[in-house]
Amino acid sequence: MSGPREVAVVGGGLTPFGVRGVTWAELAQEAGEVLFRTVPNLRAADVDSLFVGAAEPERFAFQSHVAPLVAEQMGLAPHRIVQRTELACASGQSAIRSAYAAIRAGLSDIAVAVGVEKMNIPDMAEANSAMACVLDRPWDAAHGLTAPPFFAMVAQRHMLEHGTTDEQLAAVSQKNHRFANANPVAQFYEKKFDREKLLRLPLVAPPLRLGDCSSMTDGAGAVVLAAEDRVSEFTDTPAWIRGSGQYSDFHNLANMGSLTQWSGLVRASREALRSARIGPGDLDFAELHDCFTISEIIEYEAIGFCGPGEGGSFVADGRSDLGGDVVVNPRGGLLGCGHPLGATGIAQAVEVVDQFAHRVDPARQVPDPEWAMVHNLSGSANVHSVMVYERGG
Amino acid sequence: MPTAVVEVAPRKRSKARKAKLLPPEPAREVPGPGERPARLPYLLDLYPAESAAQTRLAPFFEGLREGRFLSTHCRKDGRVLWPPRIVCPVCHTSDLTWVDLPQTGRIYAFSAILAGAPSGLEEELPRVVGLVELDGSPLRIFGRIVGVEWPECRIGMRVRVEPFSLPDGRAYYAFRVVR
Ligand SMILES: [Zn+2]
Repeated sequence: MSGPREVAVVGGGLTPFGVRGVTWAELAQEAGEVLFRTVPNLRAADVDSLFVGAAEPERFAFQSHVAPLVAEQMGLAPHRIVQRTELACASGQSAIRSAYAAIRAGLSDIAVAVGVEKMNIPDMAEANSAMACVLDRPWDAAHGLTAPPFFAMVAQRHMLEHGTTDEQLAAVSQKNHRFANANPVAQFYEKKFDREKLLRLPLVAPPLRLGDCSSMTDGAGAVVLAAEDRVSEFTDTPAWIRGSGQYSDFHNLANMGSLTQWSGLVRASREALRSARIGPGDLDFAELHDCFTISEIIEYEAIGFCGPGEGGSFVADGRSDLGGDVVVNPRGGLLGCGHPLGATGIAQAVEVVDQFAHRVDPARQVPDPEWAMVHNLSGSANVHSVMVYERGG
Repeated sequence: MPTAVVEVAPRKRSKARKAKLLPPEPAREVPGPGERPARLPYLLDLYPAESAAQTRLAPFFEGLREGRFLSTHCRKDGRVLWPPRIVCPVCHTSDLTWVDLPQTGRIYAFSAILAGAPSGLEEELPRVVGLVELDGSPLRIFGRIVGVEWPECRIGMRVRVEPFSLPDGRAYYAFRVVR
């Protein structure tokens, strides 16, 4: 008996992201259409397992037990494992991680990981309540805590401790929006944002402006994962999952250590890189969780692309752009693509597949990429989930 | 304008560093629109359940009504826990005792919600919120900050716990800037 089986993401696709005139279930149907279109050799009967990343269907669509709903909408009949994965903003990556674990353990051969979120609903105050209850609802959210004021406090401390500026925050948003202008499924595909425009947008939670915050977005997507002996049925450029790390270290804000040094991400990314046997300098690109501009800046520091406090100048100097040390968020990020919670992790994996296959717009194509990292934080950056991919073929 | 957000308030010598407890005071009504329902639907209500029939943390809310700010303490490992709990996360004993927390502290970080409020809070914008370092305690607690407009708020400003009553009679707390 040999060791655990190798696993790859072999294909997948996305629905358009944005404010969509479709229901939750219709998004799942669209995910089925795009999956079978982008992975032509996939037969529904070969899919033995289904993992559905969905953060809050109870809140946004008043629907629980969504895994069988998605199976029905997509025309799948999983017969080994069928389940939903929920980890707030990381629910999509959780679906992929669960599929990876199942295939690696020999419990599945071909699994589909789906992400669906419908966040734009008639009463957006209710949608904001849904976002609030991701946090410690009775002890933090009841005071008015949602994501923007939390990350605003993180930005405030980073500015105070390291001299990070509004212009450096805007540089993150400008880069990611520019990439999103080359990504047809992005929510802001057709919207141009230069630095000056970003700095004039209204404040949402000072010091964060509208352009510093990812959006409430409707969207879905699906990817196929296959065991090593089935990979060649689907693609010549598989995205092999080589490393994985995850860390959860607090929930109530009182139990967070430093606001500006995310030790959970230090641990999760080190574990992911260690298991892939590479270092941060080996990565060609990284899909990092830029739910807010300050998040991406702190993530550079925690992963080790630069030193503590240097994230602001790292982006302002172009070191996370094409031609820099590592290309961060060539997909357009959460800032440019929108952030349909459960679908975001799926979208990042689709970007890895498409970048490895050299089939994205040249304006965001990373030259000859071999190694990629995907990261999601969830909640108040209290959980960090990291995966490392290597291009095959 | 946003640079004001990172300025730090000048430090004054504080008499409250030794965590002196303030005398109890009656809970006060939050001023708000009269039309507001006494209670949102249960699953949109952000505030905690607080009656003894619903939670073993009822003493915290009874304490607020008496002007106290309590949490739980584990005698075995000496930790004061936040939020209050019924089982210690370190040694897993349920033998926890209620202790008074300092009711004064200093703003460590803050922001203001200018848009995007959850149900029930839409009419209370802008809403200043922040993390408060309690005097003489390792605890840094999040809460609403009242008594200051956000452009005037500064890191380092002194605050004290202020209990208040929700429209349906439940007790909760905020932090009020002390001038
Ligand atoms: Zn203990």
